[in-house]
Amino acid sequence: MVDSNVLERTRKVVADLLKLPEAKVTDDAHMVQELGMVSIQSVELIAALEEEFDIEIDQDEVADIFTVKEAAEWVEGVLGA
Amino acid sequence: MAETYRKLDAGEIEALKARNCHAYEWDRILVKDPFDANRLYSVFFHGDCRIGRLDGSVTAEGGRVRRAGIYRATIDNVETGDNVLINQVNGYIANYAVGAGAIIQGVGVLEADPEATFGVGAELESVNEGGGRDMPVYPTLTAQVAHIMALHRYKPGVVDALRKMVEAEVAAAKAAKASVGECAIVRNVPHIKNVRIGAAARVIGAAYMENGTVLSEAEAPVLIGSGVVLKDFMVGEGSSITDGAILEHCFVGQGCKVGKQYSGENSLFFANSEAFHGEGCSIFGGPYTVTHHKATLMIAGLFSFYNAGSGSNQSNHMYKLGPIHQGVLERGSKTGSFSYMLWPCRLGPFSVVIGKHMDNFDIGDLPFSYVTAAGERSYVVPGMNMFTVGTVRDGAKWPARDRRKGSVKRDLIVFDVFSPYTVGRMIAGEEICGKLYEETPKEVEDVTVGGALVRRRLLRTGKKTYSTGIESYLLEKVFERAEKALEKAAGAADVQAAMKPSAGAVYDPDWVDISGLLAARSRMDGVEQAIGEGKLKSLDEVNAALKGVYDSYGADEWAWVCRTYGTRYGKTPDALGADELKDVADAWLKAKQKFVKAILADAEKEFSEVSRIGFGADGPPEAREADFQEVRGTYGKDKFVKQLQGELETIEKRAADFRAAMDKLG
Repeated sequence: MVDSNVLERTRKVVADLLKLPEAKVTDDAHMVQELGMVSIQSVELIAALEEEFDIEIDQDEVADIFTVKEAAEWVEGVLGA
Repeated sequence: MAETYRKLDAGEIEALKARNCHAYEWDRILVKDPFDANRLYSVFFHGDCRIGRLDGSVTAEGGRVRRAGIYRATIDNVETGDNVLINQVNGYIANYAVGAGAIIQGVGVLEADPEATFGVGAELESVNEGGGRDMPVYPTLTAQVAHIMALHRYKPGVVDALRKMVEAEVAAAKAAKASVGECAIVRNVPHIKNVRIGAAARVIGAAYMENGTVLSEAEAPVLIGSGVVLKDFMVGEGSSITDGAILEHCFVGQGCKVGKQYSGENSLFFANSEAFHGEGCSIFGGPYTVTHHKATLMIAGLFSFYNAGSGSNQSNHMYKLGPIHQGVLERGSKTGSFSYMLWPCRLGPFSVVIGKHMDNFDIGDLPFSYVTAAGERSYVVPGMNMFTVGTVRDGAKWPARDRRKGSVKRDLIVFDVFSPYTVGRMIAGEEICGKLYEETPKEVEDVTVGGALVRRRLLRTGKKTYSTGIESYLLEKVFERAEKALEKAAGAADVQAAMKPSAGAVYDPDWVDISGLLAARSRMDGVEQAIGEGKLKSLDEVNAALKGVYDSYGADEWAWVCRTYGTRYGKTPDALGADELKDVADAWLKAKQKFVKAILADAEKEFSEVSRIGFGADGPPEAREADFQEVRGTYGKDKFVKQLQGELETIEKRAADFRAAMDKLG
C-alpha cells in the first residue's frame, strides 16, 4: 500500500507536467498510452519527482514505471532506502 | 623479346590494311614485339600511337577471359600497355594512355585536352553556399586539409600557403597524360573527357564524365555505374558511384557510396560517407556522413559521423542577402525524419534533432542532447542522448564499418565517442546546467541556452548526466592505465610511475575536431603555424605533420585526463597510492555498472508494450506477443543485450582481479 501523501504528491507532479486536471490522472492510468506522456516528458517526470521529494533517481532504474501508482511506489522505495 | 617500341614493317602494314586498318602516317605507329596483325581489326590510327604487346588476354568481371586486341576503334595519340582489349569505340579515343590489361568497350568518345588538369585545382564552395570558403581540390585531399582550408578562414596565411601547395598538384596533373589504369574496365560510356581513371576501376554505363580523377587500385577498386554524371570531381579508392547519381564540383573520398539518383553540388564527402536518393549542396561531409533517404536536402553545413533521417532539411537563405547562412552539426549528430533547421545553427556532438526548428541556436556546449520543437521554439534536453543504445551502437559500428581497404587510409580518424573533445564539452555543459539551475527561480518553467529553451528541471538532470559521464570517462581512463601498467609491474611504484603523462605529451584544456581528427588545440595550432610560416612546404609534409598529431592522440589524451582528474578529484593519477588506485577500481566499477545498466534500461524500451503496436496483424490478441517475439525476439535473448550483460560480469571480474593483483604487489 502506497503512502497516500506520496501518491497524492506524485499525482500532482504528473498532472502539472502533463497539464491535465488532477481528476484525470488516476492511479492506474498508463502515462504514455492514456495520459499522452512523450519520452522527453518521462525524463522531466524524473526531474520533477526528484525536486518534489528531494531525492536522487538514476535513469537506469526507472524503465518500468508507467502509472502514477508505480511512480509513487518507486518514490516510496527511494525515500525508505 | 624486345620490350621497346618499333615501327611496323611493310609486310605488317599490308597485313593491317587487309584487316581494314588505316593510318595517315604509318611511321607514327609503333608496336611492341611479338606483334600479331590478327589482333587488330578495323582500327583507324591518328597521330602518334604506341601499341603494347598483344599476345595474351584480359580478364573481365566474373573472371571471364577475353583475347587481347584492338577492334573497331579510332585511336588518336594513344599509348597502350601490354595486352589491352579495346573494341567497339563508336567515336574515338584521343590523348590517352591505356594501362596493361585494361578493357575499353562500347565507349563513344574518350578524350583529353593537352592542358587538362583532371579536376585538380577545381574550386569547390562548401559549407557556405554564398562563397568565401571556396577551395581547390586534388585527388589526395584529406578531410583535415580540407577542413583547414574551408573553415579556418580566420588564418588567411595558412589557407594561402595550402593553396600554393595545391598549385604544385595542378602543375603535376597538367604535365601528366590522361590515363585508364591497369586492368581498369571502361564500358558503355557515351562520353568521357579529361578524366584520369585509376587501376582496376570499373566505369560501366556511366552517362557522362568530365574533368575528374578516379583514384583506384586493385585492393580498393572504384565502381562508377549506370547513368552516373560526374563533372569537376574526384573519387577516392574503394568508392562506388552508381545508379544515376549526379555530382558536379564534388569530392568523394575513400570507401564512400553514392547512388540511387543522389545529386550533389559543391560538396565534399570524406571517408566512408554514404549518399543516396537525396541532395547535397555546399556540404562538407566529414567522415561517415550518411544520408540515405529521399527528400533529404543537406545544405551549407559541416557534418561528420552524421545520420540524416528521411526528409531532413535545412535552409540557408532568408531572401535577404542571398544563401549566406551555414550550419555546424558536430560529430555523431542525427536529424530525425522531416526535421528542419533554419541556419545558422550549431549543434553539439552526438546530439539528435527532432522536429521543425525556427530558432537559430548555438548549443555546442550541450553535447549528447535531444533537441525537439514545440510550436516555434526549440527545446533542448541536455545529455539525454548519452546513455542510449543508439550512441553506444554508433560508437561500435563506425570503426567496424571502415571500408577503406587500399594501401593508404588518408583521412585521420579518431573514433572515440568519449574523448577530451566530447568530455570537455560535457564539463562545459555540466557548468552551464548547474549554474542555470541554481540561479533560476522554481516558478520559471523554461530558460534560454544558446538561443534554445531548456526546461528548468531538466537542467538538474542534464548536470547529473554530464557529471556521471565525465566521472565515468575519467575513472575508466585511470583504471585502464593502471590495469595495463600492472601487467608489467614488479611493484606498486611501477604502476604509479606509469601514471605520469609521457614527456612529449601536450596538455591543452581545449580540444578540436578537425573533421575526424581529435587533437589538443595547441598541437593543431602548431601545425598550422608551421604551414603559415612556410616551414611545411608541401602537402606531403603537411600530411606527415597531421599524422604526427594523430599519432599523439593517446599521449595527449592521457595528459588531459591527468590534469582533469586532478582538478576534479584533487589528486593527479600519478600521485595515487596503491590503496587509492584500488578505490579507483571500485569507483570505476560502480560508474561502469551504472553506465551499462542505463544502456540496458534504454534497450529494454525497445521491447516495451508500446513497441508491440502493429504486431499480430489479423490474429487474436495473443498473436501480438507471439508475432513480436518471432520478429523482434525477447529482451533476454537479444544479442546486444546479452553482450552488455556479459560486460557487466567482465567488468566485475576486472575490478576484482585488479584489486587482487595490487594486493599481491604489496
